[in-house]
Amino acid sequence: MVIGPPQPKNPVLGLRPQDEPTVVPDAALVRPMSVGDLRAVSMDLLGRPPFANELEPWIGKSRDAYVEHLLGTEAFWRHWWSEQLYYFMLIDTFRPRTDDVNEVPIKLAEGRLTVRDALHRIALTPTFDLRNPGADTFVTVVMEQYCGMVVQDAARELEIGKSAYDGNETRFLGQPAENQADVVRNCVEHKSATRHFTAREYERLTGMAPDKKDLIRWSRDLHKRPHAYVTLFAEWMRSTHYDERLVRRRPKSNRLFARALHVDLLDRLPTEDETESMRNALDGLGDPRPLRSLFARLILDSSKAPVPKKKDIPDPTLWVGAQYRRLLGREATQDELRTFVTAFHEPACRPETLLYAILSHAEYQTY
Amino acid sequence: MTHLTRRNLLRTAGAVSAGALLAPSMLGAPLFVPERKTQRVVLIAMAGGVRTRETFGMPDNVPNLVAMAKEGVLYPKLRTSNLGHFGATMSIFTGLAEARGIRENARGPDPTIFEYLRKDLGLDKGDVWVTTSGGAQQVNYSYGLHPEYGPQYGANILDGDGIFNREFEELLERWGKPKAADPEEQKILERLRRGMGKGDAVKDAEQQARVEEYILNELTRGTSDIRGAAAGDRKALRLARNLMSIFKPKMLGVVLQNADIAHSSYNGYVEVVRQNDAAIGELMAAIREDEELATTTAVFVCPEFGRDADLNARRGLDHGDGSDDLRTVGCAAWGPDFKQGATVTADHKTIDLTTTICELMGAKAKLAKGGRLSGLYS
Ligand SMILES: [Zn+2]
Repeated sequence: MVIGPPQPKNPVLGLRPQDEPTVVPDAALVRPMSVGDLRAVSMDLLGRPPFANELEPWIGKSRDAYVEHLLGTEAFWRHWWSEQLYYFMLIDTFRPRTDDVNEVPIKLAEGRLTVRDALHRIALTPTFDLRNPGADTFVTVVMEQYCGMVVQDAARELEIGKSAYDGNETRFLGQPAENQADVVRNCVEHKSATRHFTAREYERLTGMAPDKKDLIRWSRDLHKRPHAYVTLFAEWMRSTHYDERLVRRRPKSNRLFARALHVDLLDRLPTEDETESMRNALDGLGDPRPLRSLFARLILDSSKAPVPKKKDIPDPTLWVGAQYRRLLGREATQDELRTFVTAFHEPACRPETLLYAILSHAEYQTY
Repeated sequence: MTHLTRRNLLRTAGAVSAGALLAPSMLGAPLFVPERKTQRVVLIAMAGGVRTRETFGMPDNVPNLVAMAKEGVLYPKLRTSNLGHFGATMSIFTGLAEARGIRENARGPDPTIFEYLRKDLGLDKGDVWVTTSGGAQQVNYSYGLHPEYGPQYGANILDGDGIFNREFEELLERWGKPKAADPEEQKILERLRRGMGKGDAVKDAEQQARVEEYILNELTRGTSDIRGAAAGDRKALRLARNLMSIFKPKMLGVVLQNADIAHSSYNGYVEVVRQNDAAIGELMAAIREDEELATTTAVFVCPEFGRDADLNARRGLDHGDGSDDLRTVGCAAWGPDFKQGATVTADHKTIDLTTTICELMGAKAKLAKGGRLSGLYS
């Protein structure tokens, strides 16, 4: 668990650790960040909004510098890793908890593992086997989840894979295979696996499908040099699709919501168990908003969140404006300010009431 | 209200601006719809892979299902879609056998039965519920991404095991139970919501508050304390029973899945089948004991597919051998409009359920590919 500001750099990128953001001279690459951009980039790269002490140093600085600062750090890889485990549905009772698995983000940050190695490990964990029991389910899942294949259209290959899983000597996806581990390896190392991974990662980041030609180029490069993932990621962060994504905003996943709520209200990350039990409950509802609001209410009412008393807010307009900026990443409109400040002066209104209105609003569900 | 009168009412009300008031599928509907007693449907997808051999083939395992079938109609051999648990269960709700990844966690392209019913019958979100037995993927049953349907017609989905568990209770204990809402503060909140963004969050917030309150109340009803074999399934069925009594929804889906323990243990699987039957019995008792529900509720129970014919090396049962045991399942239908004690062996599929239920309720599953179950009505 990494709590606090992000760690120094990954040697893979060849970037220097840096405490202060650098300004990139090329004007096209300098994208001064609004607080909303800063929140979005932080949530996309680290799975959490910025801590309070990260706001001031970075607002108005270039997005590229910020991305460079975060990319490849251990915090970045921890987020990446939890996203991958979620993709493979290794959550809840199936969450792998061995030391070996916990060290994957550290090894990725140190450049001792590539993304392909890391993905390979997932299918070799005992919980993956438990999650996907039996030849039919196991082989189907690795073909679908790793290679993006539709097994109904690849019935023969599925049967071959099942035969290898059962210990027979075969050629599965063009390579020799005679056991479960071979089935996994052949899938992980197959070109289609890199293409599928690249496409789903691009979508995870931008919310859009990649252009076909770009996808071919990216996945070809990544297949040859799986260490180059962070370089590719940096390229995506500079793309117009990412610019568009910032304007469009994206829905927060339940995991992201749980982490964002903690950081926004308590300026700390939840523990992994806190995150997971919150996420698990939120995942249990088709529309998680009622529970999200409930969680916001719980934390606000718990008196653990440092919310100032009414009498300690000398200028409510200023305070409301700051909450809009901090939680929604934008300025409040004049109408919104008026509504909130009028409410503030009513006896039944607590500062928590105003915060609850923002946190339970649809806009806070996106970033 | 019967379908006939409901439609007449809509037609009269919409005489001036019919196009604006009536759903497109209603405009083309026949004028005459048979008078039916059924006003609500419970559809239990006994998913997780359950063979007929362990259900209707061993009546001692499932006394409640057998009783249901005796008072209703048994379809002993519905053909299934071999699409993995998720895809096959989804196909029961969409009436379309389309390939879906086993671990795919995304909305499908096709509308679900819940969307058809909500759109065609103008049902409120509170009228359509689904309870499930565990896992993030399950919430995708709520709605698909079809442009004519989608989230605005989705069902409320509650996952029993995901919410009503020890961890969630601990979470509430850690932060302390939420304070009761102060009515004055509530009014202020409404005003704040109206004043934020486009101000459309107020009605939404009311709906949400009702669900929030239901969850908090449900936590005191002991659902979280259910443990042991088939705990997830039993929670889903317990929630279904409670929802039925409290909200009397028009459509209630239940998705079970614990039977899949069969991969590693045949005996464990049989125990799940027995436990599920007992919990279905509790739900049926709640329906029978409520005068209104007893005379207006139809119940369907159907696995998504069966399991292999032979045990695997671990003395469990996988699913993938293409056998009859895997590809056909037994389905029971019970309700005020149905025949009693009939067995129908005509060729039908599990995807026929969507079309059949929509028709029963007076809606049309426009994009479903299934047919109607024959021999159902008395
Ligand atoms: Zn299975």
